[in-house]
Amino acid sequence: MILADGSVWAGVGFVIDLRMLYLVVPLVVGISLGYLFRDRRKVDLGKVSLGVIVVLIFSLGFGIGSNGELLRSLPEVGLDAVVILVFALGFSVVLVWAARKLVRLE
Amino acid sequence: MIKYIVSALVLGIGAGYLNSNWGSIGAGFWVSDYVFNGALIVLLFVMGLVFGLDKESVSKMRRMGLKILVIPIAVALGSILGGTVSALVLGLDVVKTMTVTAGYGWYTLAGPLVGQLFGAQWGALGFVVNFLRELFTIVTISLTARIDKYAPIALGGATTMDTTLPVIVRYCGSDSLIAAFSSGFTLSIIAPFTIIAVAALR
Repeated sequence: MILADGSVWAGVGFVIDLRMLYLVVPLVVGISLGYLFRDRRKVDLGKVSLGVIVVLIFSLGFGIGSNGELLRSLPEVGLDAVVILVFALGFSVVLVWAARKLVRLE
Repeated sequence: MIKYIVSALVLGIGAGYLNSNWGSIGAGFWVSDYVFNGALIVLLFVMGLVFGLDKESVSKMRRMGLKILVIPIAVALGSILGGTVSALVLGLDVVKTMTVTAGYGWYTLAGPLVGQLFGAQWGALGFVVNFLRELFTIVTISLTARIDKYAPIALGGATTMDTTLPVIVRYCGSDSLIAAFSSGFTLSIIAPFTIIAVAALR
């Protein structure tokens, strides 16, 4: 079975996710190139990346707006979802903070 | 900057909605898939480049080493624990609610998978809770980044390897790149396993 995002559901409880590689490769290439030229003067890529972030977030929204199933579910389960989310986020933030103190991660 | 991001999100949702409801011109898949992935690949390359150029970020990453893995573990435990407590508060099925929060924001996984396990109604909840997690992380970034540098990473869950990563790096700085990406990566790998493992508790 192929899930909505392109990952393959293998049935026996494991998923081969195709997202993983195509995201790791440009990141590693970028880091390596940057590291190679680390003594050169720094370039300001801020303006370039804000434009691309806007494109990314627009296309993310486009996917959400096109997702009829998601939009229909929203009013049905919205209130329970918000309560569940608040607890999940609260505990996540607190546990991350505690874990960082524990292992002295700065 | 947050106003550009929120405007882009709102306009995108509106455009996607109009496109799929009034005579889809077949551009839907093109925008939400090819444009999205193209932008993401460019951003990952640029963020990597800026990170690699910054000597301080690289040496900071070396100092952190494997300690960095405590973040996704804490996010996973916190999310599932949050599911337990919220189920008790709302009077819902505890295990089913825990599978919902074990999606860590990856709604295209959690929706169908929880739906397969516990039926359409729970699938809808899995969809919405995890979708709102991604939305909330993006919209509140300018506030949460000020509370704690790692708070947006904790909020973003599995989405910090892709959709929320550029926004987090913009607000928390280049040195948060590896912490955010590795946390999202780890959570994306374990999400399907933890959903199934939690479901097996019944």
